[in-house]
Amino acid sequence: MSVIPLTEDQRDAMQEITNVAMGQAGAMLATLLGTFVTLSVPRINVLALTEVPPAIGEMVGRDIEVTAVRQSFQGYLQGEAIVIYDQDGCKELGDLMGYDEALDRTDELELLLDVSNIIVGACLGGIIEQINNLTAEKVAGKLNFSAPSLMAEGVPAEKLINPEKLTWSYALLLEVNFKLEGRNFASHLCTLMSEQSIVKMKGILDEFIASF
Amino acid sequence: MSTPHNNVSLPDFIVKLVDVGIFVVDRDMNITLWNNFMANHSGQSADAVLGKNLFECFPELPKVWLSKKIQGVFLLKNFAFTSWEQRPYLFRFPHNRPITGGVDYMYQNFTFMPVANETGEIDSVCITLFDATDIGISQTELKVAMECLSENSNRDGLTGIYNRRYLEQRLASEFDRCKRYKGEFSFIIFDLDHFKKVNDNYGHLAGDEVLCVVSQRISSLLRSADVLGRYGGEEFGVILPSTPLDGALILAERLRQIVAQEPVIFNEIAIPVTVSIGVSEFEPETPKYEHLIHCADLALYFGKKNGRNQVTPYTPELEAP
Amino acid sequence: MPTPILVVDDSAMARKVLIRSLPTSWDVEITQAANGEEALVAYRAGKADVMFLDLQMPVLDGYGVLEALQKEGLNSFVFVVSADIQPLAQERVKKLGAMAFVKKPVTTEVIEAVLKQYGVIL
Repeated sequence: MSVIPLTEDQRDAMQEITNVAMGQAGAMLATLLGTFVTLSVPRINVLALTEVPPAIGEMVGRDIEVTAVRQSFQGYLQGEAIVIYDQDGCKELGDLMGYDEALDRTDELELLLDVSNIIVGACLGGIIEQINNLTAEKVAGKLNFSAPSLMAEGVPAEKLINPEKLTWSYALLLEVNFKLEGRNFASHLCTLMSEQSIVKMKGILDEFIASF
Repeated sequence: MSTPHNNVSLPDFIVKLVDVGIFVVDRDMNITLWNNFMANHSGQSADAVLGKNLFECFPELPKVWLSKKIQGVFLLKNFAFTSWEQRPYLFRFPHNRPITGGVDYMYQNFTFMPVANETGEIDSVCITLFDATDIGISQTELKVAMECLSENSNRDGLTGIYNRRYLEQRLASEFDRCKRYKGEFSFIIFDLDHFKKVNDNYGHLAGDEVLCVVSQRISSLLRSADVLGRYGGEEFGVILPSTPLDGALILAERLRQIVAQEPVIFNEIAIPVTVSIGVSEFEPETPKYEHLIHCADLALYFGKKNGRNQVTPYTPELEAP
Repeated sequence: MPTPILVVDDSAMARKVLIRSLPTSWDVEITQAANGEEALVAYRAGKADVMFLDLQMPVLDGYGVLEALQKEGLNSFVFVVSADIQPLAQERVKKLGAMAFVKKPVTTEVIEAVLKQYGVIL
């Protein structure tokens, strides 16, 4: 099966699956932070790697300097999840997580990693759960996550990913936007998946669509 | 399932003996599993800690932070992680490395895993501890080396003060800063008088010594915020943040004096040295930072023409043909 | 006489899932809307005795629809069906006059239970 862009139906199905997964992620963040979380409608695309940097630039805002945390996942689906924050957003975090004293840089970083971990775990865990629900045999099992790590700081959004450094030729880009009400905090989750995972996802999506 | 040792199942056997710390806590933070790694490094056996509260057994643990972290795993049913890079260690375990590189205890990475019971509820959190001391030591050493390297690339090899590239970088950023926040600063260029003669009469080694001594004398009069750099062969620049022209002129005169008042001694020869100094001031209308260099240079040129060993402020009249 | 019901969601997939989950014995005339504006048009045309409403939609979102309905004198059983399951979201929709909040993904059992609970079907 060649990796061609998603059909309209596949995209719609993927969007809905991601939507439900994001709802759960949002609820978790909301519980943790005690505040209302706005989730954007996800954008989904299968892209050739060279198209990824401009896509991220467009999603976040060209020339906006960002901080990004990466985390890899393995299991039924395999890939990298990247959570992107703009510089102002980072500073709001400490306040939100209920730290009374001013955070030093190490605390800030730790916080960033924790929040990223929560977002990624909830979103991708949610997608896997949906896949399990939709398929008779609970085919997806559970995902394994690596520890999150800081990927870049103060880098323009479209320079975040260097396509030459990635091993796959295509990526399933899931773009989701979290905003916290009344706060200047927004983060974007971007997921790059291997070709095999994309093919698997497409299979599931087709199954899902066919069942209607 | 094979039972290799005393009727212990294979997985249990592995968990017990693997070279990674593994322990489990329940919702009340009581320890329900404690493997050999934990026992050996903590000095507390499984029998001693099982059923007891984690924080009572290990008062050194950051209780508030760690409880929150573990509660997060129960609440969100999600993995969590801690890296030595943010927190070098939680447990104070001695490490066994011969060369410490300043590391006092074992550096640790942690993974927190939600564990579900038969009904699917999360009733425990399994915590794995990885010894990251080696990584910690080499990363720290690497970081120090990188910083040295970075510093070196900003420095002039002979005198040890900043080089031209760095000086210009700092000048540009100070310029931008003052433009944006309406600050003030001054820029000084000074040039050794008759330096070619020093090299011709006393040799290049003497010339090098003169450059070094002058750098030291000038440095001794500067504040930590000031930036001294070698601009060219015998030319130097100084950035004086938060200093208007009159303050800069007073300092420049002191710099001139400290160079002129004593000769430089090289191989028991006394080499008299003086400098000419040009001073320019940041004005909000200045379009580019290079203009400041031009102004200080022009003032310097006039100082040289007027007999050297003097301080000349830039004024617009100097531009007249 | 079939009950006119309205299914509002920007995702065609989600609308399909919901329609599939409706009790087969329920006699209904189904209208679909892909955003809040279309939903209001259908409502004013009398097509929405019962409404299944998503929250995250372009043009006009679920909250916007509820606010508009309140202004016009809410004349519909509105069940919010959403992936956004935050407690605050649920509170908000209730305050805006929604009957109940149903979490996605929906199943036949869940839909049947909520319809019975609110007396929409027997």
